[in-house]
Amino acid sequence: MKRYVIIRTLQFPLILAVIYLLTFFLTWVVPGSPFETGDKKSNELALRLMAERFHADNWHSFLGHYPLRLMRGDFGQSMQYPDWSVTDIVKTSLPISVSLGLFALTIATILGVSIGVLAAVRRGGAWDFLSLSVALIGISVPTFVVASILLMVFCVKLHWFAIGQWQSFSDLVLPGLALSLLPMAYITRLTRVAMLDVLSSDFVRTARAKGLSRFAVIRKHCLKHALLPVFSYLGPAAAATLTGSFVVETVFNIPGLGQHFVNSVRNKDQTLILAVVMIYSAMLLSLNLLVDIGYAFLDPRIQVEAKSGG
Amino acid sequence: MRNGESRTRFIIHHASFIISAISFLALLAATIAWSRRKAPSPADFTFIIRGDITTLDTRGITWLQDMRIAYALYEGLYTLDPRTLKPVLGCADRVDITPDKTVYTFHIRDDARWCNGDDVTAGDFIFAWRRALEQPGDYTYLFNCIAGAEAYKTACGQGKPADFSTVGVKAIDRKTLRVHLKQPVKFFPDLCAYVSYLPQHEPSMRKFRIVDAKTGRVSYDARFTRPPNLVGNGPYRLESWEFKQRLRLVASDYYWNRAAVKSKVIDALCYSDVRTAFLRYEMGGIDWISDINSMDAADLLARGRKDIHIFPGFGTYFYSINCQPKLKDGRPNPLADVRVRQALCMALDKRPIIDNVARLHQPIADTFLPPGIFAGYQSPQGLPHDPQRARQLLADAGYPGGRGFPKLSILYNEGDEHGLIAQICRKQWLDVLGIDIELEALEIKSFRQRLHGRDYTIARASWMGDYDDPSNFLGKFISTSDNNDAGWANARYDRLCRDGETEIDPTRRNAMFTQAEQILVDDVPIIPLYFYVNCYLYPDRVRGLPPDPRSMVMLHAVEVHRP
Repeated sequence: MKRYVIIRTLQFPLILAVIYLLTFFLTWVVPGSPFETGDKKSNELALRLMAERFHADNWHSFLGHYPLRLMRGDFGQSMQYPDWSVTDIVKTSLPISVSLGLFALTIATILGVSIGVLAAVRRGGAWDFLSLSVALIGISVPTFVVASILLMVFCVKLHWFAIGQWQSFSDLVLPGLALSLLPMAYITRLTRVAMLDVLSSDFVRTARAKGLSRFAVIRKHCLKHALLPVFSYLGPAAAATLTGSFVVETVFNIPGLGQHFVNSVRNKDQTLILAVVMIYSAMLLSLNLLVDIGYAFLDPRIQVEAKSGG
Repeated sequence: MRNGESRTRFIIHHASFIISAISFLALLAATIAWSRRKAPSPADFTFIIRGDITTLDTRGITWLQDMRIAYALYEGLYTLDPRTLKPVLGCADRVDITPDKTVYTFHIRDDARWCNGDDVTAGDFIFAWRRALEQPGDYTYLFNCIAGAEAYKTACGQGKPADFSTVGVKAIDRKTLRVHLKQPVKFFPDLCAYVSYLPQHEPSMRKFRIVDAKTGRVSYDARFTRPPNLVGNGPYRLESWEFKQRLRLVASDYYWNRAAVKSKVIDALCYSDVRTAFLRYEMGGIDWISDINSMDAADLLARGRKDIHIFPGFGTYFYSINCQPKLKDGRPNPLADVRVRQALCMALDKRPIIDNVARLHQPIADTFLPPGIFAGYQSPQGLPHDPQRARQLLADAGYPGGRGFPKLSILYNEGDEHGLIAQICRKQWLDVLGIDIELEALEIKSFRQRLHGRDYTIARASWMGDYDDPSNFLGKFISTSDNNDAGWANARYDRLCRDGETEIDPTRRNAMFTQAEQILVDDVPIIPLYFYVNCYLYPDRVRGLPPDPRSMVMLHAVEVHRP
């Protein structure tokens, strides 16, 4: 186990370096200059001096300069918002996305698992229908539609929540709901399918025959098996939700990290693109590792040693 | 081993419980973190800006919303009158101008102070102007009229030794600044009131100074603009700036004209999405939005809402036509023939663009300069909508009924209404001239690269004026201009523009510019479509938002009457 964790951890920098290089070259082949704004042609001299300041006048100078800064934890200045360093931007926006993501993930897990279990237990009933609806809506209706509907109904019509503020706990509710729908849909379906599988197995029948109550059988014997696929899904889901969503953040005007994934690319803000991609990758890698380790605890049949042995 | 096994079994048995507990704790932690945030006290005037301020370093400011904030934080030798937006003396209370209008001597007010209480001196202006020349931005060209400035800027940019004493800016004493111009410039007071000419406070910026080890170039870490670092001499100081959330301005204790500052606390809220911003406005509590999408605006207009205010803008929406003899790929360019360009222009009926797409009663444009904005300027006659003549012209050029006309495209960037407008034009050109012009939508950065690189045939374009003079528009199409995306060249036009700029007599000057614009309109390097309008949304209680074509607002003069 220990060996496995160490090997996986050692792979981190290597994988990150590959991701860095890929992102770096992609940002360089994209046309346009990060320093140009507006429809007027920018002053050539101004552009050149700006590029020199960022060591972005040619790719090898940037590649030679920037990774060294990164190692020191310095992401440099944003090319689009020169008054802000990328570290400042990440520092203000990441916690916002993380708190929103945690909230959404909690809703998604609790509701998703509950609905999924109920759907499996009362197969073909009202709960099953609900689980199907949740899954269908969550997966097929785009987030911007859900977010806009929530905004129109609860803010504009009912006046229950303020629009586009980020000050109190209530500002977290609607974006949290919008963000949770997609993972909730997955979790509901995963739980339901796994639960159905478990419910029809022999040991459940034995347990029931032993005289255990239905509830006790489900809680003690079925749930832990049914949760395994959910657990493995939570890793990538957490990485995606905790780093924010462009759509939800735009509709609800939340100053999180998600908007930078799209905006930085649109502005060709190379330093910011690299920072958000590296943060996302690092989070995805660590969460996946956590899930793999947790998996081993949940299901003793899985031997991580064997995996790492290749 | 046993120990580990029992732990594993414990975890397995209580997996659901553990997951729920962790989730719940996370939720609790988030809640606690939230409840500890304090809601800010309400401001006297709250308005919405789009996205966020890009920079508050005056030498790099290009965006309008940055300029509005800059004018609240800094004050130039001249400033803008809040009602007329014409230049009036600001930080200087007296100016001596020589009869030939080439030497300006400014006397800075005794009571002009930075927001930390320091005296404003001539040196503060020289510091900021010198910085602009050494680290030029998009608007540094506005210094070109000062003797020696352009040469100094170029020498610095090329890394050659340069002597700032060759630039015509001198401090006579602590409070007196003398500026030598290359030639008389009618709008020099406008320039002095422009953001690029604002002063900066060197002592507070000193700790952000960076000297490049290789080139020896001095630059400043732009963090000097962030509170509490930023020191300005304007009506306000910057109290807080939360990225993409909010800026708060609080009236400066040291501004000389404190009586004119109407709102003591101003909040600028950042909204990335215009739609969400609009909904937020509809909920109440917001005093002003200057950026709404045309669909919402047209809807409000139709409903007869009183809080929507539409007034002429300072820009033109047009199609730029590539006039160079050969296209980028080497093919001969059919648009190099003036008859083809005229045919394209006269075939277009621009009314449907306004009625069906732009929808805010924008004036149809037949000329380049927005009419009625420049004092005493008479717009020339534009080309009329005349399908019959358009067909004739195209036939004369060798394409009767559009036969044999090569494949061209309209290039535009995705978003806004550019695509819809291009469709209308395509349909009309097909119906009237029988030529099918393709549509080519691009992402904005690629679009700009193609436009500025003259790698297009017909492209969407726009021009927004910076200062109140016809030369600011006409200069775009001088053959040597960086902004001449059409690649159009006309020697007579160049001469008229150059002579007009140095002409002192206003009537003769305007006449020269009118002649120049007539050439531009007749030769069709551009097809003007419509003139922009500005659209503000603000309720009755708000006063002091003038209908300025450039939509400039001096924030300190805005007043909100609360019942």
